[in-house]
Amino acid sequence: MIFDRPTSAELVEAVAIFLEEKIKDNLPNHLAFNTQIAINILNIVKRELEQGDKLSEDSKEILINLMGDSKKANIKQLAESVSTGDIELENKELQKALIEITKKKLSVDNPRYSTYKKLLK
Amino acid sequence: MSKELQIKLENLLLKNGQEGKVSNLEPLTGGASAETWKFSFSTKKGSKNLILRKGSGKKSPLAVLKSEEAVIQQKVRESGAPVAEIVAISKDEADLGDAYLMKLVPGESIARKILRDQKFKSAREKLAFQCGKALATIHSVPIEDFKQVPKKSIREELNRLYTTYKSFEQPLPVFEYAFKWLGDKDFSSRKDSLVHGDFRLGNLIVDEKGLAAVIDWEMVSIGNPLLDIGWMCVNSWRFGLSEKVVGGFGDLEELLAGYGSVSKEEISVEEVKIWQVLGSLRWGVICLIQAYSHLQGEVNSVEKAAIGRRVSETEIDIVDLLFLGGK
Repeated sequence: MIFDRPTSAELVEAVAIFLEEKIKDNLPNHLAFNTQIAINILNIVKRELEQGDKLSEDSKEILINLMGDSKKANIKQLAESVSTGDIELENKELQKALIEITKKKLSVDNPRYSTYKKLLK
Repeated sequence: MSKELQIKLENLLLKNGQEGKVSNLEPLTGGASAETWKFSFSTKKGSKNLILRKGSGKKSPLAVLKSEEAVIQQKVRESGAPVAEIVAISKDEADLGDAYLMKLVPGESIARKILRDQKFKSAREKLAFQCGKALATIHSVPIEDFKQVPKKSIREELNRLYTTYKSFEQPLPVFEYAFKWLGDKDFSSRKDSLVHGDFRLGNLIVDEKGLAAVIDWEMVSIGNPLLDIGWMCVNSWRFGLSEKVVGGFGDLEELLAGYGSVSKEEISVEEVKIWQVLGSLRWGVICLIQAYSHLQGEVNSVEKAAIGRRVSETEIDIVDLLFLGGK
């Protein structure tokens, strides 16, 4: 990595905090609403920058364990294998893989979501 | 613009035997398929608040015309369900195009207020039962009267959702799983009914006494009545209060008890669960549609971009329901 700090995640975070603390409350309602959404988006990007690589690698490992062949171990192939019936719905390893990968997605997309918080406990 | 609208409203009301003055015209929402206005109407007898719902006039495969929506609301109201009273219907461009006027039902429709404000505390305790009762009443309206309402078998609906999902070429193994799981289910045991299609907090007006009106009938269809029950129980409309399966305020048993007070249909918690999975999947595909309308469209929308990352919320609800004993 040739880039200096702030890291990309730290830069995105700075903008999110700026919008939150200095801008949002000084806007009319509909713009404040969309600014809140913009802040949420920046926070998704920040989490993905920080954890995305690790989450994808861990998911890859789950997929290799489930599907064997590492060439086939990707989301697209998994979707296809479920659709064609190559992997049966009753397969417990499949069910576990779907749970774990979905949790990883939520940890970036919306870690405050009720079902995610419940499943972490 | 609003002067012209005012005159058109007064003329339409006059045609319907009501002479008076329109004032305080105020737009409520700017939805894509319909506009909604609130206004006061004063006659010799006094003043009342009315609502105008006006469609684009284009026939969409997903939504019925506003004039049809009004007729459906009238029929449902006659059967005793809480629905706003229709005052006038317009079909003619010389009037208001495809539109109708109804009485404003006082109350709250913002979900978070209904769920959290102290003044709705006792309303919340009754609301699940009342929703069940209202749904059973809607579902028992004779469907012979609704030749114009689209018939949507749940198999066709699932096929349509699957085709839509596939068209975006974004592989989602959880969705594939849910489509396949639902494909094995038997949906034939229920008889066709009038289905609201979007029955959830946001489309209910609630006052201190509970359910005051069911609004927004544009997704109405003839189909399987369990769709409305499952949709009402989808976690996405519990606004974080996920312990309360019905809209974040009530238990499924209360809703089914309300349903059973009107209908003889026996519905089990297990059967509703199938429809919750279907509901989450349906909402997930709608999120995809929104996100891709941003990605493929010409107008930048942070709201639509963000909703693309809410698809995973429906995925986690589906895996929770299917594998982890979620409710």
